[in-house]
Amino acid sequence: MESKGKGGGYLLSLEGIRELFDRLREKYRVIAPKLKDGLIAFSDVDNFESLPFGYKNVEAPGFYSLERSGGYFTYTHPYNSFKNFLHPPELTLIKVKKENGKLSFQVHIQEEALCLFDIRACDLSALRVLDLVFLHKNPHPDPYYAGLRKGLFVVAVNCTYATSTCFCSTMGTGPEVKEGYDLLITELSEGFLVEVGSERGGEILEKVENKSDAERRHFKEKAQRLGETEATMRVHFEKEGLQERLYGRMDSTYWEHIEKRCVACTSCTQACPTCFCFDILEKNQLDLKESQRVRVWDSCFSPSFATVHRFNLRQSVHSRYRQWLMHKFAYWVDQFDCFGCVGCGRCITWCPVGIDIREEVRRIAYA
Amino acid sequence: MPTLENPYLLKAGRVEKVIKECEGVYTFHVRTQEPAYPGQYNMLYAFGVGEAPITIASMGEECIVHTVRAVGDVTRHIDQLREGDYLYWRGPYGNRWAIERAYNKTLLIISGGLGLAATRWVFEEALNKPIKRLVHLYGSKDYDSLLYRYLYENWSSKVEFYITLDRPDPRWKGKVGLITELLKELELDEDTIVFTCGPDPMVKACVRILQEKGIPQNNIYASLERHMKCSVGTCGHCMIGPYFVCKDGPIFRYDLIREYFERKEV
Ligand SMILES: Cc1cc2nc3c(=O)[nH]c(=O)nc-3n(C[C@H](O)[C@H](O)[C@H](O)COP(=O)(O)OP(=O)(O)OC[C@H]3O[C@@H](n4cnc5c(N)ncnc54)[C@H](O)[C@@H]3O)c2cc1C
Ligand code: SF4
Ligand code: SF4
Ligand code: FES
Repeated sequence: MESKGKGGGYLLSLEGIRELFDRLREKYRVIAPKLKDGLIAFSDVDNFESLPFGYKNVEAPGFYSLERSGGYFTYTHPYNSFKNFLHPPELTLIKVKKENGKLSFQVHIQEEALCLFDIRACDLSALRVLDLVFLHKNPHPDPYYAGLRKGLFVVAVNCTYATSTCFCSTMGTGPEVKEGYDLLITELSEGFLVEVGSERGGEILEKVENKSDAERRHFKEKAQRLGETEATMRVHFEKEGLQERLYGRMDSTYWEHIEKRCVACTSCTQACPTCFCFDILEKNQLDLKESQRVRVWDSCFSPSFATVHRFNLRQSVHSRYRQWLMHKFAYWVDQFDCFGCVGCGRCITWCPVGIDIREEVRRIAYA
Repeated sequence: MPTLENPYLLKAGRVEKVIKECEGVYTFHVRTQEPAYPGQYNMLYAFGVGEAPITIASMGEECIVHTVRAVGDVTRHIDQLREGDYLYWRGPYGNRWAIERAYNKTLLIISGGLGLAATRWVFEEALNKPIKRLVHLYGSKDYDSLLYRYLYENWSSKVEFYITLDRPDPRWKGKVGLITELLKELELDEDTIVFTCGPDPMVKACVRILQEKGIPQNNIYASLERHMKCSVGTCGHCMIGPYFVCKDGPIFRYDLIREYFERKEV
């Protein structure tokens, strides 16, 4: 069969998707969704059978469960995000050795060929956001992120289902994947539509045997399915002008209302695919001959985050909530020319008290 | 992508001179040929302990000057360094004082406490620049905390350099009272350029007085202190409103940060 370059489309059977997965496994360390402790989690996946086919995640503020469902890619994004792999929760920046009173330094930049298999539209937008934060809008581009990001192969999947905490349509990030992928899969009644987004995507697909040319009706069904998914989501607030509105509401008394609920547990910032804040800690050997400088995730909700001398500049919990929400929807736009929220809804699901960022934005900016 | 420069790599320099300023505050002259500018800072590293952002207080012959007050883990370690030891750091980071704006005008420098370390270098530069009138107010909490005593004579002989102590002391013959009192007494024309560094409340109080004197906010520059971990705009700790103090600052034109700086807990 003739190979198709960028923009081409094929119809694959499940066997074809398996072949594709196995081809990718030969070249890449594959990160994909997997069932783990009753959750769908992005994990290292060696084996096609591990994909959580036929499950669906049911989410609501402070609630998560899995149900069986007919079909394959019937879930949404995993409970954790790809951030765990490109900006790991713990990463050694530099090893320092002390000998005869002098220090020497050792740096190891991990450069690994990673493949994200089955990333959804919201998370793909979050990947673009992190690229801006760590690389393209950073005067000191981060070599550690760059090392892991460099060869990243992206297999995206269009969502044919949205859970109740999803609001990608509000943020304009989904449910349709529009750019930034090597290959894009949409599950259809007859099989899987696979579209090519890059040359290397085309090359790998070329080696897959179980495939035929996609036809017009396949693209029509894709559009229809995406339309149906989108129709199940409400638009929660107007994105245009949101930044200005929020800047005008920094003194709103509503922030204090949030203080009565938020317990500053930092769960939201850990679940969020775009939250990038970190601390640098020293990990010392007992004999004090070696010390590692380790980057670990931090959160604007933690009390020591903004301490100057002995004063925490954000003592009250509501000021920390304001920092988080203002950062996501206002400051971020000034800093990186985009929102810091992609509407994945993780912070809503994983908030133990069920704080719903959509509702808070609406009440602060539009009530 | 080309290999990126690693922002976390440290440099080493020999400590050439150590001056004890007062109890717990030392000034270090450290050998280096790295270029730097008044207003910038370095991240000083203490093995096994961590890093702290410290202003470049001055530049000597192939030396940078740092003045460090031992308040915490890192600074306590740094203050134990002596001549011949090595200091490790990364930098310089941050922006510079906009000294050109003060050419042919009055330049007022207001320093509170250790803030003098952040204004010293630009003040020394200003002595040799085409500045119409140079005034420097320095407030210290008490006699024993005064920094750079060995420089006062030279400074006062050239320009208006005034010191005030918060607390009286039998050894002190000069002014006593808050720096704001000193500022109120000062005659200034409206087109004065102001550089200030000190505790947040001092900066806020001084700005109010300057406004009463008709000096516009966009003539005022303040060097801010915030919690910093990475210094390269990636860790998020130093944010104030939409700004990262580490890379957009530490010096800010006041009209640009007033909103965030004056509002509680931003
Ligand atoms: C741009 C910039 C420039 C700076 N320039 C200088 C400089 O030139 N010289 C200088 O000495 N510092 C300077 N600082 C301040 C310095 O970086 C901080 O004080 C830093 O936190 C010291 O690190 P540390 O590890 O020693 O103390 P930390 O570990 O951060 O502090 C440990 C603990 O010490 C206590 N502590 C800290 N400060 C005080 C205090 N003032 N009073 C009472 N208790 C305190 C607190 O309990 C704190 O939690 C600058 C800061 C910035 C942002
Ligand atoms: S703020 Fe919440 S909804 Fe937005 S990207 Fe982060 S976790 Fe997802
Ligand atoms: S909003 Fe919810 S998840 Fe986030 S810190 Fe507060 S309680 Fe935790
Ligand atoms: S110190 Fe890390 S972002 Fe400014």
